[in-house]
Amino acid sequence: MHEQIKRIMADLLDLDPASIDGSTLKDNTPAWDSLSHINLVVALEQEFGVSFDLHEIESMLSYDDIVQIVDGKIG
Amino acid sequence: MLQPVRSLPEVSTAMTSETPASLRARNSFLASLGQGDTLNAIQAARAVLREEYGLRAWNFIAGALKKTALDKLDLKPFRVALLSSFSIEFIHSPLLAFGFLNGLSVQIYQAGFGQYRQEILDPVSGLYAFHPDAVVLALEGRDLLPHLYREYLEQPPAAAASIAKQVGDEIAGLVSSFRSRSSAPLLIHDFAPPTWPSLGIAEGTTEFGQIKEIQNFNHALRLLGRENPSVYVVDYEGLVARHGVQSWYDERMALYAGAPIAQVMMGPLVSEYMKYFRALTGRSKKCLVLDLDNTLWGGVLGEDGMSGIALGPNYPGSAFVAFQHAILSLHRRGILLALASKNNLDEVERVFASHPGMVLKKEHFSSIHVNWGPKSSSVRQIAGQLNIGLDHIVVADDNPVECEEIVGQLPMVTAICLPKQPEKYVEALLQEGLFDTLSLSAEDQSRGALYQQRAQAEAMRASTGSIEGFYRSLEMEVTFAPVSGSSLSRAAQLTQKTNQFNVTTIRRSEAELTALLADPDWMLTTVAVRDRFGDNGIVGLLFARIHSGAVEIDTFLLSCRVIGRTVETAMLARLCDEARRRSATVLRGRVVPTLKNLPSRDVFEKHGFTKLGNSNTEASHWILDLAKDNIAFPEWIRSAQTQSGESSLRATCTTDA
Repeated sequence: MHEQIKRIMADLLDLDPASIDGSTLKDNTPAWDSLSHINLVVALEQEFGVSFDLHEIESMLSYDDIVQIVDGKIG
Repeated sequence: MLQPVRSLPEVSTAMTSETPASLRARNSFLASLGQGDTLNAIQAARAVLREEYGLRAWNFIAGALKKTALDKLDLKPFRVALLSSFSIEFIHSPLLAFGFLNGLSVQIYQAGFGQYRQEILDPVSGLYAFHPDAVVLALEGRDLLPHLYREYLEQPPAAAASIAKQVGDEIAGLVSSFRSRSSAPLLIHDFAPPTWPSLGIAEGTTEFGQIKEIQNFNHALRLLGRENPSVYVVDYEGLVARHGVQSWYDERMALYAGAPIAQVMMGPLVSEYMKYFRALTGRSKKCLVLDLDNTLWGGVLGEDGMSGIALGPNYPGSAFVAFQHAILSLHRRGILLALASKNNLDEVERVFASHPGMVLKKEHFSSIHVNWGPKSSSVRQIAGQLNIGLDHIVVADDNPVECEEIVGQLPMVTAICLPKQPEKYVEALLQEGLFDTLSLSAEDQSRGALYQQRAQAEAMRASTGSIEGFYRSLEMEVTFAPVSGSSLSRAAQLTQKTNQFNVTTIRRSEAELTALLADPDWMLTTVAVRDRFGDNGIVGLLFARIHSGAVEIDTFLLSCRVIGRTVETAMLARLCDEARRRSATVLRGRVVPTLKNLPSRDVFEKHGFTKLGNSNTEASHWILDLAKDNIAFPEWIRSAQTQSGESSLRATCTTDA
């Protein structure tokens, strides 16, 4: 799951997958604007076959947040 | 610089979309892009879209395109201006990706959120400075006319109608302003229905009504399109309906970002625009080349016979009838039809002449190529006969190997590789709208007959060209194994069912095979074939008997799935080795002609056997001198090791029940 998340983030946020870790935040990633945030959310939904509610979408502010929320969905 | 995707994915959930096939497609795409090989990059991009779900595929394709110097590729620059009443930025990636698939290098002008009026009315706006090749005015009824949507019941019906009329007039004014300043084609969305109709089920009983108002509005818009040159009203209502209103919109994103259309629907939306862009740039397809077996009917004619193919009122035959109707509709619109099939022509003629399930008739086809040669050469001949460019040809075939062979040889051809389920054929054929034209003329509708005559006049040419590259690309691996308990029933079945590539057509039961297994002079070998598309399982048999220094081939057959891929050469090469190991000096073979085994009749001749005698009897006899002649194992086929190693051709199993 971690690798899938990193790959998606790398594709959509123009990052090197190897550089993505706990320090990757929405605030310190230039390409992570609100448009790419939606791209990211929808790509994660497609990849893992899950659906996020708006509250969760707004709470995804870092790589760690995403891992935690996705992990909570797919157990 | 583009980096290849190196790592294989960690496949951890069923949802993951990265398969070896998708990885291969991605890398082939990146490599072709890097080499400036436009046509192969387009084919690889199509493969990426086939292997991965849309969103991921088009983000990947668009991402790579953004990092590439597109002016080095053979693409037509195409400038698209997007004006919208809502956030439509998510369309950029699919627009670049789908444009590329159609040979277009799309450049986008994105007007600011809701700025379409200013852009059109201001003569020095960015829109006009951009000099667009096409302008999309994407309006959402629910943004533009809330009075007809969620606020419908907040005013008297007549007031809603009057506001709708005003908005319609405003759009007409915008169109006329635009036309006075630009001659670019203009695409305008009509309005989709509301997700939740305000009147509920009472809509149908009222004289006025929300749905009726929206339909009136759309009707007025279409009139506007007909009255103004190069103004096209996109059937957005129909598009949304095809996908379902609830699926089309994503309320979360509407609230979060003012982007009401679900992101996954950007693909279908772009596909709809592409129908126009193709037509505007002369890229509409003109000819559909069809396969027969498992395409126009279910099953294999050469194996199942006319009475055995699936085509008629019951499933799965009904799915093929539906597909034929869809094809006939294309033909009536002026699309040329052609056949490229590996079959026996006289059997095919009989189906056309007398199968009651056939919707398509022989006269609907402008060019018919039924033979056993590579399909790419059939397609090339069809293009020559009909005098149309290969880039205007679409091939529909159920067999991924054939699709691969055709586009490998002719990358300008578009292949629709049909899905496994025949009920999805119609969708696969029509979803991209490859054949769509901006309008229909009477000439379009009679063009089929014209081309047909031309084709009849043209002489047939023999096929040429090397296809080694195709063989290589299949990544074939064959496994030889002695018939054993686990393969006994498959072996018997193959002797009973195989008709086309079968030199002697000797049918045997499991009991008869079991008896032969007990005889050490008999070599009973099964052949399994894997290729990059998957495992075909056991698809061939070679039975031979050693008798006073000669190895006599008794049964030599191949399922039609793997005919024409040199598997037969591998089998004979292997038999040569084994015969020498057993100190035999000659191989003997015979061909017993049947009505159906035409594809196998020349197999010995092709492999250097000498014909014996001048026999006018039915069977022909062939011999290969092992001291002088050899049959080389095809270098593009890998031979997998069998567990029994050297003696694998020996019948070792004697204990099965």
